Amino acid sequence: MSDGPLLSVRDLRVEFPTSGGLLAAVDGLTFELSAGETLGVVGESGAGKSATASALLGLHPREAKVTGSIQFRGQELIGLGDKELRPFRGDRIAMIFQDATSSLNPVLRIGDQIAEAIRAHYDLSRSELKARVVGLLELVGISSPAERADQYPHEFSGGMRQRAMIAMAIANDPDVLVADEPTTALDVTIQAQVLEVMERIKERTEAAIVMITHDLGVVAGLADRVLVMYAGREVELGGVEDVFYRSRHPYTRGLLASLPRLDRRGAGGRLHRIDGNPPSLLEIPSGCEFHPRCPYALVGLCDVSRPELTVVGDAHWSSCHRWQELEPR
Amino acid sequence: MARPSDSSHLSADAVDLPTAAARPAGNGFIRRYSRHKSAVVGAVVLAVIMIACFGASWLAPYGKNQQNLDLAVHGPSLDHWFGVDELGRDYFSEVLYAGQLSLKIGLAVGILATMVGAAAGVIAGYFGRAVDDVLMRVTDLFLIVPGIAVLAIALRGLGQRDTTIILVLSALAWMRVARVVRTQALSLREKDFVVAARASGASHRRVMARHLLPNMLGAIVVNATLAVAFAVLAEATLSFLGFGVETPRTSWGTLLEKASGTVGTPTVYLLYFPGLMLFLVVLCVNFIGEGLRDAFDPGDGER
Repeated sequence: MSDGPLLSVRDLRVEFPTSGGLLAAVDGLTFELSAGETLGVVGESGAGKSATASALLGLHPREAKVTGSIQFRGQELIGLGDKELRPFRGDRIAMIFQDATSSLNPVLRIGDQIAEAIRAHYDLSRSELKARVVGLLELVGISSPAERADQYPHEFSGGMRQRAMIAMAIANDPDVLVADEPTTALDVTIQAQVLEVMERIKERTEAAIVMITHDLGVVAGLADRVLVMYAGREVELGGVEDVFYRSRHPYTRGLLASLPRLDRRGAGGRLHRIDGNPPSLLEIPSGCEFHPRCPYALVGLCDVSRPELTVVGDAHWSSCHRWQELEPR
Repeated sequence: MARPSDSSHLSADAVDLPTAAARPAGNGFIRRYSRHKSAVVGAVVLAVIMIACFGASWLAPYGKNQQNLDLAVHGPSLDHWFGVDELGRDYFSEVLYAGQLSLKIGLAVGILATMVGAAAGVIAGYFGRAVDDVLMRVTDLFLIVPGIAVLAIALRGLGQRDTTIILVLSALAWMRVARVVRTQALSLREKDFVVAARASGASHRRVMARHLLPNMLGAIVVNATLAVAFAVLAEATLSFLGFGVETPRTSWGTLLEKASGTVGTPTVYLLYFPGLMLFLVVLCVNFIGEGLRDAFDPGDGER
């Protein structure tokens, strides 16, 4: 393996043409991912998390314009055609989708679908394929995997479908695993089981994981580092401890404060909330995009000048003008 | 690096989740098909007709073109189920032999037209944009030509061999399949499982072959059966008009043509039997299509 990061994303922009002009779903995203590391990507709906995920595999809609740089082991992926990207997809960089029910082909047996993912990259005999598929299903915790492999998706429960999706994603032992809200569509109990599987995958393989979620609990449990996104922009990036306990961005602080807690109740037992709504991507506020909702916003600074991502600590970045005033709690 | 294949020793602390439905897979296809009584009857009747026609050399009570001028023309009897024609031939045997050509052309056109139509439709629907525009305009072009006239001209020019008839009829029958498949591909290509397949490295060709087409097998098969029915009828029409199968070879269409003058005469039964066979085949094929459509859906309509 070469030195340097496994995956290096620089100034990634994903833009969609709309009747109201170009809409930047992702605006200047920069991060690095090392082998075996788990990066949590957090943000509200519409923050650009999923657009980032699809851009990583070159699976964005055709009309979207992707600029910047995505380097995998030093090789630039942006600008590559479909044919050149195919060897990476599912082999070196794999993806787990949010809704396993719709992401599995209803007329293909589970085992055949997983085998498809392997056959797209490796020429294996029928028996080798079968053995590998059964091994994968067992790894993700599906009992009697040999029989299960012959069943159709509709014969699986929701949680089992998500496990099958995970098995499909790790089929070729990828270097990078992009998980796009893998637990969002599931019941809480099933969520816990799927997360357990994810943790096992993390231990078993050397894959780096990009865990996209709006669930801070998932991040706390799984991630080594956290990237917080707001309105397509990167607002904070750092180690999970730094971001959770020494956050240097008011938006992250607001998110964390909104988590329900049993030990510390707010006035009247109400949950903290961030006032206002995320901005429409067509009407991004001037200056810092968070300033209209920010309790720390300064007139004449935050509404005029857009903060750059600055180093605020050891491997910890924040894009806030007033980060120095946000004392660690 | 730990390959997934050597991980089977790992104690996958399997959490057993309730299964959606503990149904035996595999035999579901036949079970779902058999729920359609008409489809079962259709399959049986068509099978009998096909065996009788293609096995006519062994099964037909009399030889092909075997004339017995001593026999008077007469209607159906115990010896001659479909009666005897004016040349003293057993009409039952004649109908069976003629069916060989009708069925052969019908099935060949059904298969060829479906393959061409499905390929054109899935490519147009999946890629969209310019590819779609070009392919659909070509489809429109084929749809607006006056079928019978083009057929007649083409067969006059190209000769009336079986392959020519099959090719020309296929050229007139693939558009319906293409349109149906395109519509389905347009909606299926937006499905998450297509994106998931792309994310696992599947090529466009693989996505179309493994993910799009199998998901519309029902629609394809139904339209294939319609194409077979169309072809059997079109061949009969052509042969009736004298542009199809050439004498001395016979199909149900040529039999109808030869018997066309019998209306109002005692030998009108010569018109009934080839017509009845055409009717039965087309009806059976349609019933089968309906049964197959439901049988091809493993979700049992509940997904």
